[in-house]
Amino acid sequence: MNCQKYQENLPHTIDSGGNAEEEAHLQSCTECASVVQDLKYIANQAKLLLPMHDPSPRVWQNIQSSLRNEGLISEGRTSLMAQKTISQVPSSSSKAFSARAKSWTPLGWAIGLAAVVLLGVVLVNYHPTPTQPEVAQNSAAGQAQVVADQELIGQVSKQQPAMRATYEDSLKSVNAYIVDAKKTVEDNPEDSAAQRQLMDAYDQKAMLYEMATVRSLQ
Amino acid sequence: MTQAKKLIAPGLTEAEAIERAKSGDAEAFEALYAFHKRRVYSLCLRMTGNTAQAEDFTQDAFMQLYRKIGTFRGESAFSTWLHRMAVNVVLMQLRKKGLPEISLDEMLEPLHEDGPRRDIGARDNVLAGSVDRVNLERAIADLPPGYRIVFTLHDVEGYEHNEIAEMMGCSIGNSKSQLHKARLKLRDLLKLRRAEKANRR
Amino acid sequence: MNRHHLKTALGVVALSATLLGSTLALPLPNDTRKQTFNLAPGGSVSIVNGGGSVTLHPSTGRQVVITATRYSDKVEIDFTNTPEARRVEARTHVLSAKSTSDESRVDYDVAVPAGISIVVNTSTAPITIENVDGDFSFSSDAGQITVRNAANSFVHVHSLTAPVSLSNLTGVHAEIMSSGGSVQMVSVTGPKVKVSTTSGDITYQGDCSGGGAYSLVTHSGAINVTLPETASVDLSAQSVSGSVINDFPFRERSHNTFVPTPGRSFAGTSHSGSSSVELQSFSGRIRVKQQ
Ligand SMILES: [Zn+2]
Repeated sequence: MNCQKYQENLPHTIDSGGNAEEEAHLQSCTECASVVQDLKYIANQAKLLLPMHDPSPRVWQNIQSSLRNEGLISEGRTSLMAQKTISQVPSSSSKAFSARAKSWTPLGWAIGLAAVVLLGVVLVNYHPTPTQPEVAQNSAAGQAQVVADQELIGQVSKQQPAMRATYEDSLKSVNAYIVDAKKTVEDNPEDSAAQRQLMDAYDQKAMLYEMATVRSLQ
Repeated sequence: MTQAKKLIAPGLTEAEAIERAKSGDAEAFEALYAFHKRRVYSLCLRMTGNTAQAEDFTQDAFMQLYRKIGTFRGESAFSTWLHRMAVNVVLMQLRKKGLPEISLDEMLEPLHEDGPRRDIGARDNVLAGSVDRVNLERAIADLPPGYRIVFTLHDVEGYEHNEIAEMMGCSIGNSKSQLHKARLKLRDLLKLRRAEKANRR
Repeated sequence: MNRHHLKTALGVVALSATLLGSTLALPLPNDTRKQTFNLAPGGSVSIVNGGGSVTLHPSTGRQVVITATRYSDKVEIDFTNTPEARRVEARTHVLSAKSTSDESRVDYDVAVPAGISIVVNTSTAPITIENVDGDFSFSSDAGQITVRNAANSFVHVHSLTAPVSLSNLTGVHAEIMSSGGSVQMVSVTGPKVKVSTTSGDITYQGDCSGGGAYSLVTHSGAINVTLPETASVDLSAQSVSGSVINDFPFRERSHNTFVPTPGRSFAGTSHSGSSSVELQSFSGRIRVKQQ
């Protein structure tokens, strides 16, 4: 087995492993080993890529007008949609959703979103840290969120120390916002305005994470 | 959280939104759009490497969704179904525009000659730890179209070679070899960027 | 590795370089570099900067002209464009983490055509755009963001503590999010204006009649809305623990989700009530008055 032969067959063996002869070559050849290491690294990094960008609001405008042009939705519906916020949840004018609020579990949903925020950070900060096992063991979303916040601040102080205090203050404020908004929703489970405010609070937190992450990659 | 109970907006599970969108409820459709737009757009953007095209294809994919949601029977997760539809939209549109075939000439020198350069030192020469998300995204955008699509589908989106072969109308072996070439090309691009950066300092 | 291998490796580098488009680095400190690109229709311009400034204004034709000034050799400026010129990017690289904010600042002056998408990311550099219509996505930690004189544009803003100022925008789709920065709007109208802050104050001044949906939401910031007598709006205001003060002559009406409580919530209509205005705070004071 020489390098040429080994690499010719690599497209078929890299993800599944080769035969004994190929494995032996890989063990003994530093050049092929570094190729394989790089390619696997690239494949692994690709798995960590997150969908970070939203489409322009223009896209939704175009979908709406196409649906209207094709007669798929009526004018009345469209204007109702146009009045609502695009990327957010249905606004208070949307009675249809509030009417179904019986089955709504605001906390469950909120934790789900918190988990999404957390997941985003864990995936982006792929550098393994000693705190990682703690996160995995402690499944309580609140605790995990505290750890995620600490990691975020740690990352900010490393990458842009001048902004540390600002991020700390902002995190504190937004966490207070979330606590207040959650409480309001628990007290008034049917209040769609309160629900929307809770979503806004989570969006604010997601923005902080996104900004810190984007900035640190620059 | 099971799929049936997955909430995509306060008071609205994904399953409810799908049922209501099937009966033409525009608000439910909007909620589905709001929840899935980012993933679908990112998929289109990575496959095309072009924001204007990605926006067009995102629009097409959701138009298709609106028309075809009645045929969704829940055999797979809704997101899987939707993403597959988006992939097909992108592939169909790119074919219409004449998706540039990858010629064999594009293969560089025999693979081995592009191997590591010992003069730089083995440890610095591997990529591990040196690539951030922005660099990788940029390098993917700079790939030739055919490579970019196969790489996005397999390594980013997690499709299997048999699925890619079916969607792209090629053999499984072809999918594997395109993916391999894509990864090699990315390795070149990433090393080049790193070398440029080092030279400037 | 022998010489033959090295030559091939360099060949690969050269080939890859052509694939990447042009990448230029500035040679000298304290210098200004100007570069012109012909942007393809539907293209985008992206600027990434730390401190300094980013100022955008209209260009002629499809040209993008980027003028970048740096003040030390501790920073580098990259101009990149894709081969089909669909994307033009300018990016500041700070070479030493120890450089001072004066040393690492870069001022960008960018002339852009109308109707393109513009993405700007900064840490402390203010972002200013004037007299350009397009699709804007601006994000800054602490640099003031200013958008003036635009029609039918999309304006997306993310700010940490950066103040945001929007004025003279018609037909706008605006989505503004700020954690602690204030958001000030003067004569900003369009189908959709959504502003959300955690602690930043929100000020709206102008006639928002004309069928739009305006939503201003905050946790602890103050919301101040000043409308001319002619404003035709359907307004609701609600604060959980702050106060709501209305001095505008609305016809009070009932609200579909809350019972108006004096001092805490309010709903009213003026003229035909063509635009909807929703104000919501947790502890911030909400005030609506007549101009
Ligand atoms: Zn070998």
